[in-house]
Amino acid sequence: MLPSWVTEVVSARTGARRRHSHFIERTLGHTSRFIGDAVFAERVARRPGYLQQLDARAKLFSLLGLLVAAAFCHHLPPLWLIGGFIVVSAARSRIEVTALFNRVWWFLPGIFLIIAVPAAFNLITPGDPLLIIYRAHPAPRFGPVPLPAELSITRQGIASAALLITRILLGVLLAVTITLTSRWQALLKAVYTNATAPFVLVLAMTYRYIFVLLWIVENMHLARRARTIAPAGPAAERRWIGGRIAALFSRSRLLTEHVYAAMLARGYRGHPRALTTSRFTWREAAWLIACAAVAALALVLDRVVLRGLRW
Amino acid sequence: MVNDLFRVESVGYHYPDGRVGLAGVSLSVTEDESLVILGANASGKTTLVQMLAGLIFPESGVVEAFGSRLTEAALEQPDFSREFRQRVGVLLQNTDAMLFNPTVYDEIAFGPLQLDLSANQVRQRVDDMISLFGLEPIADQPPHQLSGGERKKVALAALLAVSPQVLLMDEPTSGLDPRSQRWFVELLTELRELGKTIVTTTHDLHVADEIADRVIVLGEQHGVAAEGPREQILTDLDLLLSVNLVHEHSHLHDGVIHIHPHSHLHRHEDHE
Repeated sequence: MLPSWVTEVVSARTGARRRHSHFIERTLGHTSRFIGDAVFAERVARRPGYLQQLDARAKLFSLLGLLVAAAFCHHLPPLWLIGGFIVVSAARSRIEVTALFNRVWWFLPGIFLIIAVPAAFNLITPGDPLLIIYRAHPAPRFGPVPLPAELSITRQGIASAALLITRILLGVLLAVTITLTSRWQALLKAVYTNATAPFVLVLAMTYRYIFVLLWIVENMHLARRARTIAPAGPAAERRWIGGRIAALFSRSRLLTEHVYAAMLARGYRGHPRALTTSRFTWREAAWLIACAAVAALALVLDRVVLRGLRW
Repeated sequence: MVNDLFRVESVGYHYPDGRVGLAGVSLSVTEDESLVILGANASGKTTLVQMLAGLIFPESGVVEAFGSRLTEAALEQPDFSREFRQRVGVLLQNTDAMLFNPTVYDEIAFGPLQLDLSANQVRQRVDDMISLFGLEPIADQPPHQLSGGERKKVALAALLAVSPQVLLMDEPTSGLDPRSQRWFVELLTELRELGKTIVTTTHDLHVADEIADRVIVLGEQHGVAAEGPREQILTDLDLLLSVNLVHEHSHLHDGVIHIHPHSHLHRHEDHE
């Protein structure tokens, strides 16, 4: 027999001001963005473009080769040459240049603050001053700590910062292009060897189960939202978040046990094995030759043509 | 001659939180049969399957598989473990746990890779399973992009790729739509015809009626409430009512209130 109150309509509690939990919303926003990014990357990697058709190992080799060449270049034009080659290759692979650069610019503020700004000053890179912040004789002190007699931004410092930023952005551009045009599992297989097998297995499973756990997080939030009639205060929100973190941890631990049981049941005896397929054709050979030519050209430009020139 | 593949004798088990999982369960699984373990929710079906699969071990009693004691120590012996895992395949209820590889192709390859097969033989098995289950369009997809029915198919394909002699399946049809359920039942029938021994847990009497040779009923006290041929068990409505597999149904019929056990396996005219 159902109790009589099931037919009563009670109005929701009033008076409490609606407080949005920015933390929860932000976390969910990041959750959705991660899934969205993964789906986008998967879609791009499936497009019938030039780089997508190449074997992941060939792409990883070329990535390493071009990065090493970039590290040996001390002028900007050779780096621009390598960058230009990558952008053209990406465009031939049906990647929108804006989508590519949106993923690269993301790193810029961090690099700028951590590397470029300090490198521009005379303390890190001495040289001809472009902008003097202060100059004092004798050198000032900050309590017991002696300060430099001059603080300035130098021409060599700017050059060094520009070179550093360009190198890092080039590295990011290369990595983003390779990862966007390769499926995650293909990249993992490309680094699969007997020595790396345990790490590759753990990485592959981590990536696979991130989606399961994100799905649980999203559903927990939706279930709560569907049953929230009156807004909760900040303390209740914090309690809820703490409780959900614990619940998620507990579920992930249980899932780990189930996964391990499923692995054992299918004959796993502690030695990871995978089917690796390597297909080196004329296409891969042509790509590697092109990359080697660009790297050689960049080094010649740097060491011969621009030799003796600053920047 | 009847050959027992599994023998379970007076097995008891408690979950880590102290609840009873199994209490004094005894049963056997014979070669070439399709055994259905029927039971209501929380009657211990999953625990029993995991025990038969050598994933958990009894606190009391004995489990024997292929004539040997199935213990943790025995499964740590590489030879026994290899043979047991090759002969026994298990389909767990949680397909998210079953599918732990990056793609469907890798998932199916996982089992054969644990056997002494060449890479080409593994590929052949994977291709055969993909073709048998019609998985070509999703072969290189990650599991999180699959529907519930597709996940079940992939999990079963991964299981069969090892070609086990015994298939242990925990609620294999739960969450499947009617068409997928029908496909699944037909596949089980084909596997039976190929001589596979199949142990299925379910609380779905329709599924049991279609695939079982023999039925074991687990009661709410976590022990075996009854055991017998399919017809005998599935027509015993008092038994099914007592173990919560059918419910009592009351309705007005020809001006008289009827109260009787209700199961969709039986036509209304069968009851008074």
